[in-house]
Amino acid sequence: MGDLLTVENLTISFRTDEGLITPVQDVSFSVQKGRTLGLVGESGSGKSVSTKAVMRLLPGSAVIAPDTRMHYTAKDGQRVEVEKLDPRSRAIRRLRGGEIGMIFQEPMASFSPVYTIGNQMIEAIRLHREPNKRQAREIAIAMLERVGLSDPATRIDQYPHEMSGGMRQRAMIALALSAGPALLIADEPTTALDVTIQAQVLDLMRELQRDLGMGMIFITHDLGVIAQIAQDVAVMYLGTIVERGPTAEVIRDPKHPYTQGLLAAIPSLDRLNARMTPVPGDIPSPTERPTGCPFHTRCVHAIAGLCSARTPREIAPEPGRAVRCWLHDEAGRSAA
Amino acid sequence: MTDTAKPDRDEAQRLRYYSASQWTLIWWRFRRHRAAMVAATILGIMALMGVFAEVVAPYGPTSRNASYLDGPPQLPMFCDRQGCSIRPFVHGIKTERDPITLRAISVPDPETRVYVSFLARGEQVRLFGVIPTDIHLFGLDHDKARLHLWGTDDLGRDVFSRTIYATRTSLSIGVMGVLISFVLALIIGGTAGYAGGRVDGGIQRVTEVVRVVPIIPLYMGLAAAMPPEWSTTQVYFAMTLILGLFGWPTLARRIRSQLLSIRNEDYVVAARLAGARPSRIIGQHMLPSFTSFIIVDLVISFPYMILSETALSFVGLGLRPPSVSWGVMLQQAQSVRVIEQTPWLFIPAGFVVVAVLAFTVIGDGLRDAADPYSEAR
Amino acid sequence: MLRFTAERFVGMIVTMLLVSLMVFIIMELPPGDYADRYAFRKYSGTGVSVTEADIQAIRVELGLDKPMLLRYFDWIGNIVLHGDFGQAFAFETSVTKVIGDKALLTTAILFGTLIITYLVSIPIGIYAAVKRASFADYGLTTFSYLGLALPNFLLALILLYFANRWFNADIGGLFSAEMKDAPWSLAKAGDLIAHLWLPAIVLAWSAVAYQLQTVRATMSDELNKLSVTAARARGVPETKLLIKYPARLAINPVVSTIGFDVNRIFSELPIVAVVLGLTELGELLLRAYLDLDMYVAGAILLLLTFMIVFMNFISDILLAWLDPRIKLGG
Repeated sequence: MGDLLTVENLTISFRTDEGLITPVQDVSFSVQKGRTLGLVGESGSGKSVSTKAVMRLLPGSAVIAPDTRMHYTAKDGQRVEVEKLDPRSRAIRRLRGGEIGMIFQEPMASFSPVYTIGNQMIEAIRLHREPNKRQAREIAIAMLERVGLSDPATRIDQYPHEMSGGMRQRAMIALALSAGPALLIADEPTTALDVTIQAQVLDLMRELQRDLGMGMIFITHDLGVIAQIAQDVAVMYLGTIVERGPTAEVIRDPKHPYTQGLLAAIPSLDRLNARMTPVPGDIPSPTERPTGCPFHTRCVHAIAGLCSARTPREIAPEPGRAVRCWLHDEAGRSAA
Repeated sequence: MTDTAKPDRDEAQRLRYYSASQWTLIWWRFRRHRAAMVAATILGIMALMGVFAEVVAPYGPTSRNASYLDGPPQLPMFCDRQGCSIRPFVHGIKTERDPITLRAISVPDPETRVYVSFLARGEQVRLFGVIPTDIHLFGLDHDKARLHLWGTDDLGRDVFSRTIYATRTSLSIGVMGVLISFVLALIIGGTAGYAGGRVDGGIQRVTEVVRVVPIIPLYMGLAAAMPPEWSTTQVYFAMTLILGLFGWPTLARRIRSQLLSIRNEDYVVAARLAGARPSRIIGQHMLPSFTSFIIVDLVISFPYMILSETALSFVGLGLRPPSVSWGVMLQQAQSVRVIEQTPWLFIPAGFVVVAVLAFTVIGDGLRDAADPYSEAR
Repeated sequence: MLRFTAERFVGMIVTMLLVSLMVFIIMELPPGDYADRYAFRKYSGTGVSVTEADIQAIRVELGLDKPMLLRYFDWIGNIVLHGDFGQAFAFETSVTKVIGDKALLTTAILFGTLIITYLVSIPIGIYAAVKRASFADYGLTTFSYLGLALPNFLLALILLYFANRWFNADIGGLFSAEMKDAPWSLAKAGDLIAHLWLPAIVLAWSAVAYQLQTVRATMSDELNKLSVTAARARGVPETKLLIKYPARLAINPVVSTIGFDVNRIFSELPIVAVVLGLTELGELLLRAYLDLDMYVAGAILLLLTFMIVFMNFISDILLAWLDPRIKLGG
């Protein structure tokens, strides 16, 4: 199975008035063709920033560390070293939209209010797929139909404010897919929607991903959603991936105390009477990143003197899985 | 248990920060705005000069020096061809005939020195119009000679002294105008915002009409109606009234929209249910929530007042001589010829620019300071 | 769109009526009445002694003995029905004749100023926002502060002075001496344009300073919008992206304040006209005020304000056309 996207040692810092802050540190993950990677974490854990780095969409104040490697395999089989591209170059523009599509949390804000849905879709199609205006329009209508909008030939000439929230999110998906990307990054696409519409959109995305054979990165703070849509999962906390592996195994047997905490916080039918146990405490601000293991300030199993002092390395407790926690790294602990 | 290794001093400071009142916070943030602090200092000095005009100005605003007409500025110096002195001095004036036009002109006489002294005795004046004194901030030792720091105009009046008196007039007209328009805005905007509905609709219409008429021509129309026989005092108060009378729409709109947006907040409804009078509800419960915005708007409206007064007086429709304001002084500087021959008559224009700039910068600083979210930066 | 336009049109008419009432009140403000001043003008220097009865006769002749409201309706009725603005006392002819093609000149100055304002402020404001916190940005901010603080008559004098020194030319006025009284021709129009730039720059000065800040602020806001990031994530080239997405929206507040700009320009017009020796409505207005020739003053004030109200109407329509969200709201 070919890796579509491999990210290694991704570290991102921002220059701010208060000095350098580092919201993402040493993050590695990969996405395979036709599979979905779920990226889970609380807000501020660095999920969105990491994926924006892959698209080179970070603002000018952001610095990507020099040992970061981001490799993308294009549709024509060419390997692209994304970290080496100039963010204003033609090569990165070919990647954006044409190879990697992106969906955002707020569909209303991601459309420009003064152009029709069609205008913005046709623009993307003509940039990447089909320069002919009339044929681009055909593709756009077909795509709107594909995401389940009724009467797409009329909808295409409507403005975003003329649609309902669910319709807009579908249109947003159509917009991202219209240029035919091989990888879709979905940044909390269902968070702003009603529960019933949320389920519909999830179904649609799973279906589209399967039919089009795309790879997908699905960002959410909801581990329950991950279980429905992603084959692989990576759990992020304060800018590092604390645990990753196949979704089913991670959910059945979470290794990291943070993953365990997240799972315990999901309401479930068999534990209706039991109190939900959220992870205690608040997520620290990125400017006050704890030393050592970032999670030790909230961890009930923290080992005194060790977790607060030294950053755990990533180890593989089982084949195909990885965790960053001193509890599972006896060899490293005794070496310490 | 956290291992935040921050010293106690930080903690104390943080505690002080969290318990500080809104106004203290605004003041702290404003203090950090360097440009605004500089502007506030400059404006403060200007205001002080205006308040103590009688003492700061060496001569009265209409006092003439017939032997020095259209005279250029005299800069106090420490050295000349005869050597140096510790006390600053200026050269005396002598009269010569212009070799071409044969007109009598005044030129500096490098042979005589007149020393500058501070807190000198000079003209008898009444500070604030009541306290008699003859002490001035500075003057010349010699009784007859006069020091014209910024030169004189065609009647031999001291530009420096006149500018100081003009500062008093122009700034005070600004203050009065802003106050009057503030009271009007409070009443009009308050009524519209509190009553809402049809009353609001009607008031909005009127506001719209007042806003749409170009303001300087409107002021001119009102100023033109002032009877010519009015005294300078009457004209002065009429001017403040005119400026205030039509300065309210912007502020009234701000007050109205703020009131409308908090009209249905729980604490306002509670006060209404408790039977409080409307004026009390507005004054005690609603206004305090956006006082800082009102202050910012008030500061920002000063430049318009000052510029309007200057413009009106400049074309002869505002204050009239013998009143002296920046605009009245600039009446003498209406042509290019003045720039070429007596450029010092433009000094009051510098005051206008600096005052307007200062008010604008302070307004910006206050706006940043009053915005609670600016702390995030 | 049609309904929206009709609504705005009715609103415009109502505002114009209210404005006319206000203007009439201002015309009535000066002490004494027209009959006194009329008689004084007519007979001063002729040696004829005027009696109270003569003044009363004039009063009746001019209809000044009627109640104020009735005179208002006479006045506005004559304007609307016959285009007759009344008598200009100082000129001993009708107001319409006195105003004549000065209204045309004023319109020329207005549009010259507006064109300069937008040609300068929009591109530079956008540039400043894109290059935020750069040297150019700070420079422009400083300039716009100065633009708001420098009284326009002072700027006019400074420009006149330098024009005199460098070009050794007298560029005041709207026409050169030989063209002043010539009938309208292509050459005269060219002469007008050659003289128009100075008053247009002076009047555009503060409008530019103001709009520059507006454009820069909106553009900065728009640049941070998710829709811009989303378009960038679709691979839209940077220059096209800036123009199509944020810049397109940054123009909206400019369009919505066209009326405000016209207001500002007309407000400064009389003062600038005095310094530059412009023979148009602003200068005439000032002269009429100083002479207490209130029919002329009222007519001009009314014309200027009507032009502002009309431009407000145009700006509303333009904005609705530019921003599809407005039409729905109605």
